[in-house]
Amino acid sequence: MASDNQKIIRHAGIDRAFHWVMAAIMLVLLATSLLPMLGVRFAWYGVHWVSGLLLTVIIALHVLRALFWQKPRGIMIKPSDLKAGGAGKYTLAQKLMHQAWTVAVLVAIVTGLLLLRKAGVPFLERDPYVRSMASWGIITLLHDLAALLSVFLVLVHVYFAILPEKRAYLRAMTKGFISRSDLAREHDLNRVDRGE
Amino acid sequence: MNLLRFGHDSYGNRIIDGASWDLLPVAFWAGIAVIVVHLVVRALRRGKGGG
Repeated sequence: MASDNQKIIRHAGIDRAFHWVMAAIMLVLLATSLLPMLGVRFAWYGVHWVSGLLLTVIIALHVLRALFWQKPRGIMIKPSDLKAGGAGKYTLAQKLMHQAWTVAVLVAIVTGLLLLRKAGVPFLERDPYVRSMASWGIITLLHDLAALLSVFLVLVHVYFAILPEKRAYLRAMTKGFISRSDLAREHDLNRVDRGE
Repeated sequence: MNLLRFGHDSYGNRIIDGASWDLLPVAFWAGIAVIVVHLVVRALRRGKGGG
């Protein structure tokens, strides 16, 4: 029988590295796209597309790791998540945050990769005529909406991460460990032990 | 407040250019609103001894 103070590994080092690298890249992407809109003028495009490609690579690695080394069903929302104290590894709120980030980041990546053709990068010649102006407008609209959703999500995500009662999750994302007593507040430890 | 940015194609037709940057403060303040609402609900629950 495990003791309440027993520490268990919540996030492996590679997953914590993914998280913090993704976070840093997202902040660079938001800064390089939104600061010019706020009147801060600088050569943003080079940093933006390089950061976007880095994010694409990191997300691809994250998806591969989730599919082949982890249990991707663990992040899916299940009826038992709606029961107080019934969460598995992740609470309903954590799952919803992940799904929202998934939408924002995947839309930003797909539309961003398409927009590389319109704007041009050293390895891909600029050719805005491969699509109609109306199509580019819709792609840009989706890219913009992903950026706006990301602004909202950064605020909410950081707020919940620094709340005192959620500090154990933040510690787990920096050091990797969480105690069973911290998990017992919102999680069903039987589900956690089963790897759900 | 505008929701969209508009431009014109080479035939002069009005087309969508992207989201209006008027929405940037909306996204920001929506995030702040969620935080404030959560802080209020949290304080009320603690006041009732709900932890």
